[in-house]
Amino acid sequence: MKKLLQLIFGDLRNVASVAVALLAAYGVSRLAPAAAGAALALLLIAAAVVQAI
Amino acid sequence: MTAAQWGGAGAIFLASAVEWVEAFTIVLAVALTIGWRRAAAAAAAGLAVVALLIAVTGVGIEAAQADIGLIRAAIGIFLLLFGLRWYVKAIRRYSGRTALHDEAREFAATREQLQQAEGRAAWIVAFKGVLLEGLEVWLLVVALGHTLSYAAAAGSAAASLGLVVAAGLALRAPLTRVPENTLKYLVACAILSFGSFWAIGGLAGEQAVWPLGNVTLLLLFATYAVAGRIIASRSRAPGSAAAGVRA
Repeated sequence: MKKLLQLIFGDLRNVASVAVALLAAYGVSRLAPAAAGAALALLLIAAAVVQAI
Repeated sequence: MTAAQWGGAGAIFLASAVEWVEAFTIVLAVALTIGWRRAAAAAAAGLAVVALLIAVTGVGIEAAQADIGLIRAAIGIFLLLFGLRWYVKAIRRYSGRTALHDEAREFAATREQLQQAEGRAAWIVAFKGVLLEGLEVWLLVVALGHTLSYAAAAGSAAASLGLVVAAGLALRAPLTRVPENTLKYLVACAILSFGSFWAIGGLAGEQAVWPLGNVTLLLLFATYAVAGRIIASRSRAPGSAAAGVRA
């Protein structure tokens, strides 16, 4: 079961990265909807930098 | 089919192929230890469980397609979790911070493990290998299935299984020629693109967030692909100049 959950969600850092990026992008979408997608992509790339190094 | 549907089918096909290659490597090692008939039976049992999961979850998804926006958001989040993990893993392999996944090494390790085990244990190794890799395929089919149709998604995964098995049998050797990390990296970029598109589109309104529509998927893919390679080259581990050559 633990293996399956890890398979789906990854570790805590992965879940936190996606959650933070999505929440921030959602916040951006309230102010400037057309910029929300770019914000999400940039935040995910930043999360990848943090996790990869 | 639309561009998004072709993209979804392609992503499922490639991602499934990666998982099937891993599963086939394990089955091959087991087959050389306990024989093809028993190894194939174990693999078939593992595949049967995966097929059952795909069939059962498909019925559930078809029945629950009431709010497509909500479903897209949920699936998008799921894809982001899955895709980011693969993306980071592939970048770490390119940069030499994690060893490249080596099918030959996995093959040798499985055989070594089997030398100490009897027939039943070997059967379980093959069953477990196919089941675990198959579960990843199941997750992909469930996540991407609604873009084209659930049956087409399952068919795409099955087609890649057929291709990998045919190629594996033809080569009769561990599938070390498949550039696994490159394949995983491209699939991760595709999954992240779809995940981004649906997650924030589902939460905040697709037309408002993505005014360019489906074309954005290509832009997202290119952005993630280029950014990942830049991250990998900038974060290359000391003494890993050769990393990524085989990838």
